[in-house]
Amino acid sequence: MGRGLTKVYTSGEVEVRALDGVDLDLHVGELIVLLGASGSGKSTLLNNLGGLDVPSSGTLRYRGRDLTGADEKTLTAFRRDAVGFVFQFYNLIPSLTARENVALITEISPDPMPPEEALRLVDLGDRMDHFPSQMSGGQQQRVAIARAIAKRPEVLLCDEPTGALDVKTGITVLEAIEKVNRDLGTLTVIITHNAVMAEMADRVIHLSDGKISKIERNSTRRPVRSLEW
Amino acid sequence: MVMRALDLKLIRDVGKMKGQMLAVGLVMACGLAMMIMARSLILSLEVTRTEYYEHHRFADVFCDLKRAPNALRDRLAEIPGVAAVETRVMGSLRMDLPGQSEPADGTILSIPEDRPLRLNLLHLRTGRFPEPGKANEVLLSEAFATAHGFRPGDTLDVILRGGKVRLHIVGIALSPEYVFEARPGQVLPDNKRFGVFWMNERDLATAYDMDGAFNNVVVDVAPGTSTKSVMAELDRLLAPYGGLIAYDRRDHGSAKQLDDEIAILNGMSIAFPVVFLSIATFMTSAVLARVIRLQREQIAQMKAFGYSPAQVGGHYLKFALVIVGIGLFVGGIAGMKLGENIVRLYHKFFQFPSLTFHADFGAIGMAFAVSSAASMLGVLGAVRQAVKLPPAEAMRPEPPADFKPSLLERLGVQNLFGPSMRMALRNLERKPWQAFFTALGLALAVGIPIVPGAMRDGINFLLDFQWTLAQRQDVTVSLIEPSSAGAFSDLRHLPGVIHAEPFRSVPVRLRFGQRSHRLAVTGVPAGTLLNRALDAHGNPLPLPPDGLLISGKLAEMLDVEPGDSLRMEVQEGRRPHCTVAVQGLITDYAGLAAYMDIEALRRLLQEGASLNGAHLSVDRSRWQDFLDKVKEVPRIGGVSITAALKESFRKTTAESINLIQGIYFLFSIIVSFGVVYNSARIALSERGRDLATLRVVGFTNREVAGVLIGELAMLTLVAIPAGLWIGGRLANLIVQSASTETVRLPLILTHQTYATAVLIVLLSAGVSFFVVSRRIRNLNLLEVLKARE
Repeated sequence: MGRGLTKVYTSGEVEVRALDGVDLDLHVGELIVLLGASGSGKSTLLNNLGGLDVPSSGTLRYRGRDLTGADEKTLTAFRRDAVGFVFQFYNLIPSLTARENVALITEISPDPMPPEEALRLVDLGDRMDHFPSQMSGGQQQRVAIARAIAKRPEVLLCDEPTGALDVKTGITVLEAIEKVNRDLGTLTVIITHNAVMAEMADRVIHLSDGKISKIERNSTRRPVRSLEW
Repeated sequence: MVMRALDLKLIRDVGKMKGQMLAVGLVMACGLAMMIMARSLILSLEVTRTEYYEHHRFADVFCDLKRAPNALRDRLAEIPGVAAVETRVMGSLRMDLPGQSEPADGTILSIPEDRPLRLNLLHLRTGRFPEPGKANEVLLSEAFATAHGFRPGDTLDVILRGGKVRLHIVGIALSPEYVFEARPGQVLPDNKRFGVFWMNERDLATAYDMDGAFNNVVVDVAPGTSTKSVMAELDRLLAPYGGLIAYDRRDHGSAKQLDDEIAILNGMSIAFPVVFLSIATFMTSAVLARVIRLQREQIAQMKAFGYSPAQVGGHYLKFALVIVGIGLFVGGIAGMKLGENIVRLYHKFFQFPSLTFHADFGAIGMAFAVSSAASMLGVLGAVRQAVKLPPAEAMRPEPPADFKPSLLERLGVQNLFGPSMRMALRNLERKPWQAFFTALGLALAVGIPIVPGAMRDGINFLLDFQWTLAQRQDVTVSLIEPSSAGAFSDLRHLPGVIHAEPFRSVPVRLRFGQRSHRLAVTGVPAGTLLNRALDAHGNPLPLPPDGLLISGKLAEMLDVEPGDSLRMEVQEGRRPHCTVAVQGLITDYAGLAAYMDIEALRRLLQEGASLNGAHLSVDRSRWQDFLDKVKEVPRIGGVSITAALKESFRKTTAESINLIQGIYFLFSIIVSFGVVYNSARIALSERGRDLATLRVVGFTNREVAGVLIGELAMLTLVAIPAGLWIGGRLANLIVQSASTETVRLPLILTHQTYATAVLIVLLSAGVSFFVVSRRIRNLNLLEVLKARE
């Protein structure tokens, strides 16, 4: 739950208002798509939601935890226990295999699923012992999703997860995200500038100039398989 | 002049990585400091020595004899190849010094009055030369005078050949033959108890019953003449006069000490710099390879704008030059400072009219050339790769790192390690050379502090072995000349003497095949309790009824084994020549010894109960009585107190060892700190993105540091045993290179030495890592989510 979230970056003498009074409520099990153009503030919002950054003003609460003015230690614990991240460029550790990249996270989580199970969930049961350099981009991104969900996070945050992929591969990645949301009931937030993806969401939040310009609710989520762009 | 844009870039880039540049530069500085110090010391010693020897006409050949008429001097001067001859009266004297309970002794030499001094000219520090005809005026050697605060005008009571004489000090002097001013055969100077005196020839000759005669001759050999032939002729002419074997500068006690020191410095000026510079070169190459990888796109742009490959390559080579510059600047200053300190230390060992530090600028130039060539070579590969890349390709980010299953998987033991250990192992395996040199650097850092530890322990072992286990006498008393049984009885009945054993010491030449060596054979009683010959384990070797027990080192020099027969040419009395068998080898660490049953030696010399002195064991409670009395016995030439000898040895070496230890510890700290810092910074830069990702997904700072440390910890673990081994080898090398006739340090490696070395490295590596790991806090987490660098 966020109220009046504002984030101001000062770079040199220039002040950038990346978020400007955003009010937002997210619910368990939802699949949210955050839609906005480059510079609309969507990444900043995601960073605040994920505990990578704190708002300059406003309040941000997560299940009774106040993250507004949290210190580094609290934020780290929050990310560790509650949040799964999927990045545009996968950010896998090149020196670890798929299984080990997942295990890296499960070893520090209180209640993880076995790495193998997480990888099977994203249809990579047969590539567990491959290194990142031996996999395609789509496969790497699915490993990243497996890594993010293996700790059974309450929130899954995906920052342009298909941004570096072609359409066909992008679809397989989105399918994996959709499956996780459906099977595990994880609150999932996808950031994208690709409007087509809006149709797979429960709710679509449009951002521009650091403000929420519009919130849409889809009556039915469109299956990822049928998306096209 | 406007600075070129590329150079501005250089300055700013260097500013951003100053920590790393400094770390590498300092490691390089260690090697350069060592090189500049050693080369400068060599230059200082050699320049000073050459000047001193030349200006003061240091002789080439030396010979002692019993007594020859002065008329023989002209005959000696006619030997072909002889440029100048000086004949002298030389003797020993004893002193009872106020404020010093132990007796001191000295050597006294004549100064001619009827002719100018031709060789071994004296350098007068203060005062004047003795006036002709003025009895008992003397010059005193500077080291001894300084140790006791004697000045011209002071008087000194001495015993000259049994008679008490009051000497008037008129001047303080130095001689090129006493640059190293120590009792003949002694390893270290003991300036409190040994001094050199010079007196008018006529007075000294009278005191020593040498009127119109001489007992010592020194010769200057004309350039281009063989010293050997001069020595042979000298031996032939002096034989009827009781001549001992002539020897040249190589066997001259003082000259040899200087040669040994220079030889050790020579070794040091090559071995250490090579090791340090190779580590520094690799560090340079690792740092710059990283810079070039990071600046791939900038390189592409420069090339796209039209900079030539040579310009771009030159730009990156300048980074290496900056490091060399730091190394040379710091190393140059440190090397000179160290050199100056060591020169100050040298003043305790070597007496020159003036010994000043000469910086060897040639060596500095060489150091610059060597280190810049080495580091240029180190970065050439990376620079060439960067320059070769077509601009369009270079602008694309580097392809992702390629990892393969590592040795772990091939061995099937991967499950024993957690993911962070596996990351570390695979990284190491992927860059084996980087890992190798990092480990080598750390191993070197572990090895360096072992050297001074081993030296200190070696010296302590030597002192105990030589002067507690082997030579157990409290005092060695030597007589002015060989005497008979009555003299022994006098010594045995000195107050406090519990046990006394006579010894007979005879100058001989030992020959085996082509090899020969001159030394004194010492006869001691069979079943001796005091001056014992020991084996390698410190157990006494029984003295055989005939034949010799000789030092292992002497056996090595003569290339003999037990059972071989030596030709022994006695240089005293009737000068018999005979064949003796080597019955066994003894272990000793100072000087060269050859022992024989005293009875067998006397039979050989056809003498009765003759002796040169006695080893005494003295009751501690009557020590003062003993000292008071021993000073009065007329026939005594010298009194050497074992405890004082040990103490003086310990004191003199302690300061050098402390200085060496300080230097080596500092170098070890710099290398371990620098190597760890550099490796960690490179790892942090190469894997910053990975590490930041870990932070984003919930790893704490500490856990991320753990991932980073894993690799270095593994290298350190490998480096420690390797380093202990290297340290042992290094210590052995140094001990071996310093092993001479006069002193041989045993290699003693203790747990304490090892533990100290490991501790130094772990601590400095730990601090270094801590400094770097603070940077993990500053990882930009948000940047990770954006595009690749």
